[in-house]
Amino acid sequence: MDLQQKNKPLYWQSLEELNSNPEVLEAKNHEFKKGVTEDFDIREMSGISRRRFLAAMGASAAFTLTACKNYMDKGEIIPYNVQPDDVIVGRPNFYASTVTSRGQAVSALIKTREGRPIKIMGNPDHPIDQGKMRPHVQSLIMSLYDPERVAAPLKGSAGVTWEVVDEAVGSALRSLSQNNKKAAIVTSRLMSPSAKKILDKLSQKYTGLGVFNYSLTQLSPRLSAWKKSYGVAQLPEINWTKADVVLALESDFLGAEGTEAMSLGFSKRRDVMNDKGFSRLYVAEGNLSLTGMNADYRLRLRPDAQYELVLALANALQEQGLALSAALVPQAENHTLSRFASSHGLAESSLKHLVNDLYKNRGKALLYAGDRLPESVHVLVNTLNADLGADALYQRQNAPFYQAQPSAPAELAQLSKDMLAGQYDLVIHWNVNPAYDLAALAYADALAKVPVSVTLDTHLNETGEKSTFVLPIHHDLESWGDFEAYAGVHNLQQPVIAPLHDSRQAEGILLTWLADDSAQYSEKLYHNYLKNNWQDTVYRKTNSLSDFTTFWQGALHDGFVSLKGTKINYGSLNVNALSQVKRPKLEKDYLLSLHYGYATLDGEFANSGWLQEIPHPVSKVVWDNYAAMSVTTAKELGVKTESMVTVTLPGGSGTVTLPVLEQPGMADKVIAVELGYGRSKAGEIGTGVGVDVNALIDLNSDSPFIAKVDVVKAAGSHHLVTTQLHHAFDVPREQDLHTARGITHEANYPEYEKNPESAKMHGHKTFNITSTHVYEGIKWGMAIDMNKCTGCNACVMACNVENNVPIVGPDQVDRGREMHWIRLDRYYSGSAEEPTVTQQMMLCQHCDNAPCEVVCPVNATNHSPDGLNQMAYNRCVGTRYCSNNCPYKVRRFNFFDYRDRFKEAFYHKDMNQLVHNPEVTVRSRGVMEKCTFCIQRIMWARQEAIREKRDLKGSDVVTACQEICPSEAIVFGDSNDPQSSVSQYRKHVTAYHVLEEFNARPAITYVTKLRNTYEKV
Amino acid sequence: MQVAKKPNTLPDGHPDFSVQPSVVLKQPTLHDITEVISRPIETKATLKWYIAFAFSVALLMVELVGWGISFYYGTGMWGNNVPVAWAFPIVNFVFWIGIGHAGTLISAILFLFRQKWRNGIARFAEAMTIFAVMCAGLFPLFHTGRPFLPLYLMPYPNKHAVWVNFLSPLVWDVFAVSTYFTVSLFFWYTGLIPDFATLRDRTLGKDMVSKIRKTIYSVLSLGWRFSNRHWRHYERVYLILAGLSTPLVLSVHTIVSFDFAVSGLPGWHTTIFPPYFVAGAIFSGFAMVVTMLVFIRYIFDMQHLIPIDTLEKMNKIILLTGTLVGYAYGMEFFIAWYSGNLIEQFTFINRAFGPYAFAYWVMISCNVISPQMFWFRKLRRSVPIMFVISIFVNIGMWFERYVITVTSLARDFLPSSWGWYNPTLVDFMLLLGSFGMFFTLTLLFVKFMPVVSIAEVKSVMDGAQVHHHHEEDPVDTEATIIGGQPA
Repeated sequence: MDLQQKNKPLYWQSLEELNSNPEVLEAKNHEFKKGVTEDFDIREMSGISRRRFLAAMGASAAFTLTACKNYMDKGEIIPYNVQPDDVIVGRPNFYASTVTSRGQAVSALIKTREGRPIKIMGNPDHPIDQGKMRPHVQSLIMSLYDPERVAAPLKGSAGVTWEVVDEAVGSALRSLSQNNKKAAIVTSRLMSPSAKKILDKLSQKYTGLGVFNYSLTQLSPRLSAWKKSYGVAQLPEINWTKADVVLALESDFLGAEGTEAMSLGFSKRRDVMNDKGFSRLYVAEGNLSLTGMNADYRLRLRPDAQYELVLALANALQEQGLALSAALVPQAENHTLSRFASSHGLAESSLKHLVNDLYKNRGKALLYAGDRLPESVHVLVNTLNADLGADALYQRQNAPFYQAQPSAPAELAQLSKDMLAGQYDLVIHWNVNPAYDLAALAYADALAKVPVSVTLDTHLNETGEKSTFVLPIHHDLESWGDFEAYAGVHNLQQPVIAPLHDSRQAEGILLTWLADDSAQYSEKLYHNYLKNNWQDTVYRKTNSLSDFTTFWQGALHDGFVSLKGTKINYGSLNVNALSQVKRPKLEKDYLLSLHYGYATLDGEFANSGWLQEIPHPVSKVVWDNYAAMSVTTAKELGVKTESMVTVTLPGGSGTVTLPVLEQPGMADKVIAVELGYGRSKAGEIGTGVGVDVNALIDLNSDSPFIAKVDVVKAAGSHHLVTTQLHHAFDVPREQDLHTARGITHEANYPEYEKNPESAKMHGHKTFNITSTHVYEGIKWGMAIDMNKCTGCNACVMACNVENNVPIVGPDQVDRGREMHWIRLDRYYSGSAEEPTVTQQMMLCQHCDNAPCEVVCPVNATNHSPDGLNQMAYNRCVGTRYCSNNCPYKVRRFNFFDYRDRFKEAFYHKDMNQLVHNPEVTVRSRGVMEKCTFCIQRIMWARQEAIREKRDLKGSDVVTACQEICPSEAIVFGDSNDPQSSVSQYRKHVTAYHVLEEFNARPAITYVTKLRNTYEKV
Repeated sequence: MQVAKKPNTLPDGHPDFSVQPSVVLKQPTLHDITEVISRPIETKATLKWYIAFAFSVALLMVELVGWGISFYYGTGMWGNNVPVAWAFPIVNFVFWIGIGHAGTLISAILFLFRQKWRNGIARFAEAMTIFAVMCAGLFPLFHTGRPFLPLYLMPYPNKHAVWVNFLSPLVWDVFAVSTYFTVSLFFWYTGLIPDFATLRDRTLGKDMVSKIRKTIYSVLSLGWRFSNRHWRHYERVYLILAGLSTPLVLSVHTIVSFDFAVSGLPGWHTTIFPPYFVAGAIFSGFAMVVTMLVFIRYIFDMQHLIPIDTLEKMNKIILLTGTLVGYAYGMEFFIAWYSGNLIEQFTFINRAFGPYAFAYWVMISCNVISPQMFWFRKLRRSVPIMFVISIFVNIGMWFERYVITVTSLARDFLPSSWGWYNPTLVDFMLLLGSFGMFFTLTLLFVKFMPVVSIAEVKSVMDGAQVHHHHEEDPVDTEATIIGGQPA
């Protein structure tokens, strides 16, 4: 069918139209006759177009009417006229796809209802991610419906047509070689092979066009160190399940620096149900990180002393009899363990345990250096690891894969310099925010010198604000794409909703710029390109017997194609690498340690209210960043929590003033600050939250995130909002209450191995005067394994999305009104210098003797026959008595209609309402709410069982938190079924209930926290 | 009128305490009593009254605005949070309910015990009960998250077939408080009937205003004609209502205390709460009556109807109940220690030495220490002293409820969910405003109703009772018909 044939109208007004006379067709598209609008440009007349005016009129009329609406008004419901084939009203459809952050691509299942995505869930079949997902990518569902997304191309703040942009960029590209100027495409970590191909072609076609890819979270020297050590820039994945002893050096591999796979692998070795035995985790770090909280032994150490530590370990290992590499021997000389311990105030006994463990477990022991440590430490760690035989733990298959070498900080600095010098005619940013990230390079100033700059993003950010054009691109859920973040594992991304705005596929835009002028953008453009590319590459590699279409459909269905046999090959260790690197200098001054924000990472997620409101895993601070320092350091500086300090880089190149938090467990003289805050252009939610510290990233140094700084006390104070009160270490009666009150229970793992009974919680026997209720059939229960739980907050996020938990904002959190149904309690014991941290996931315990139920005057909360503590929102009048009587304080009250209250009725904006899960009631003001054990999922499973004429089984139901938990710490099921894993946990010797003597008889079983230490608890 | 009476001084000049002092001094005539009590009602209000009324109404408006804000925006306008889900409104509720207790105790229990001195103050105390319960009742009603659904708290047949939860003390509260209010209202009104009739008869009905007045009094007096039959019925009804009210004095605050005691919260879950709350309620109620009477007897020249002896008796009760409350405070600590329950122990130590210690020590000094002054007769009989102490007691009792409610909730079982409570402006508006409501109602009452029971005071004048004829009784037998028509 040729084009003309295809465009033939069904109804026609004249023969010319029927015959597709182009002139007539063209005229048909114009509202006014030719010539009528010639002497004026409608766009120039006023910011308000006729349509906009009418829309505003309509909206104001509608707003007037809303004042009269009943609070129970549910709005309009529009039924389908014709039901789409694959949509059944009330039944969700799941699509396998991929969601990305700037450094990660995670395979996902997108749950859609009536064509509308409502939840991003992990893809359980994926070999790497295994259905697990950290909070960040989960939150992308809300960014899809963000009312502030860029809806149409922008030039400055005014709208512009795509053609104008294409013209401007096209001419800039074509004239590059004539003018002898350069152009750059700056993008985040390249994970897409197809996009890589397009970028390669672009730089081939246009001489002078360079491609830069970076993201602050991927700025690690690990890759280059690996290249120095092994000759190839390819990293192996670590086989965490086989590691018996792990020493994490300034590495938050369970937290902000880690992946789902790391948590999953690590937690497999913390499983009381698995006879593989526990691994032992040593952490040496300056800040108290999430990983540090999970350590068996934690060494407080300045980040710049890590090199010395490894040398001291090497020295001690050599004494034990380990054969060190030749290059290591002279370096390790004289670095005795005892001298190192005494000069850094460390317990020599812990270090000795560490050395013994490393030596005894050669081949199963590993040192893991943190992403932010300098190259030299990585090379040194590689060398010692090789001597320890840690190669056995390196997994060569499906290892992290880089489509292109990430741009080194020096390259970015050069780019910025050249831009400032006017060498660049065109800069294209795609899914990066260098004006914010590279504040230390004054990138924003350099950008101003570039005649044509384009930013491709879903949201307007600092870079977009400074660019000539901002082009809206599809959200992950509207896009096609492919990702190979792990060698041989090809993820596919497919759109699950038609584009909500006048946005385009980013790769499609690049393709039009690549092709000749005549190339028209269409949604098919990149889709076809992707398919063709797959036909040429992935399909060929699979040697599939089926035809490509079948293969493609299958790949779309699965969301990924995993190719076996893609092994990375790295040679043997280059021992001399060690002598090539510059040995870091050990400073005595204040040391700044910049970390990726747990909520915001590098600032990419600063505009997510959900993430901003999830408490920091350690400090429990929300909606802010701060300068964390030890109590001693704070005293030295004469500051307290919430007073201000000014941090300055030595050259005076960066100065930042920010609030102090006295963080227990930090090394002295270390100032730890999180990145990703203080965005000046992030949107209604993220703008101005916290302090921007990117100016302190010293990109010229070999460790950009760790630098010597000057710190002085500054005037003023700033209130830090937390969900947990600051722990008072100096009030004896408030110490160790969590263990004294039977809230948490800890035991020693080696003791437990010898005698499991030693891990049993000893309490008084409780009994009921009356006989207890007998539950027949299913009784729902949950088990939470405190050994596996790392405290990563993924469950909190999954629960928020699943159950329409509102964001309340920092002022409400400060009043103690956060709405999260799950919280992670953090308890310190010991001294403020060397605290032991205990975490506990806390949610409604669904008690058999629920104290909340008896006191509700209106029967709004009651017990179901299958053991659930239910809430009838419609019946609740909000006396809040249930919350008072709940010993676990897990009930949450809607003090306001938070959907109306938060940020100028943020939730009530039309687009935003689409994010709600239709299976869960959106709670009104004045109603109590709490964890329901995902009652909607239980009902769904029951309904399916009835439909399939079978009995409901406990394993049919998976709660949202359980599904997403990266360490599989949550188990849910039927506790009446002796075979179910919940029953196994309930019967286990380590099982206990929180506040058992209160005799509320909770349905949630906790597993004793077993500390794998030589010293008994 | 001459009354022969045993002298209350011994021959050696010392006071003879075995003689009950007269409860009506200066030996007024029956008519004098009617006159002095009716005067404020029948004369124009003074400027002072208007100033006081304007001030009270202004405070009442503050409360109305506070409620308006709370209704419109939600309970979030208050400082309440999780864990402190109950705070000012519940504290105010218990405080006002407590205030109300003095009225019922004076009018019912002291009536049954034939305490003559209660007659001078019963009317006012009863009125205070009614108003205090009204002030109190607003708080639980409107403090819910969805105050537009109070019907759900009532057991009424409905198509959802949902019943109230009779296990919940809040439901008991609904019944207890509404019963208490109803019975108190009837009791009060019953006592008012003869007085309304007196006022009716005194109103001439010559001009328009007077006619309206007379009509209103006529309706309110239910055709009372001072006949013997009326009196007989009246006495019977009054006695029955007194009998009905007596258990209510104990039950209402017992049930209010159940709101706390039935829960499992450390600091609330205490068996001592019912007697402790009742004692506290009487304590605060008497203090409030003293505070108000000191003014009223002065403003309306009723020092002879409410003599200092009566006030002294009330102060003795304040001393007694204050000491009882102090005992309860001590006993709570003892039991917390004796129970061996770590959480319970922590709660009490935290009360006294934790972040809310200021509230605890305000409570102790106002409730336990300040009433100890009343051991001294001089201080007991000194109007300024008793005024100051009664104010202290009221402050202390408000703080007692604050200590119980807020400090227990703020730090309960899990240290992770410990919180902090900061009252907001609206919280203070409602607290102050409830005083506005109370004062407004009181001022209206003293202006339009007899603040002292005309009939009952006449019945306890010296010589008003039937005597044995040991000595010559100069009293006209007619006078034994208590509250007879004005001469």
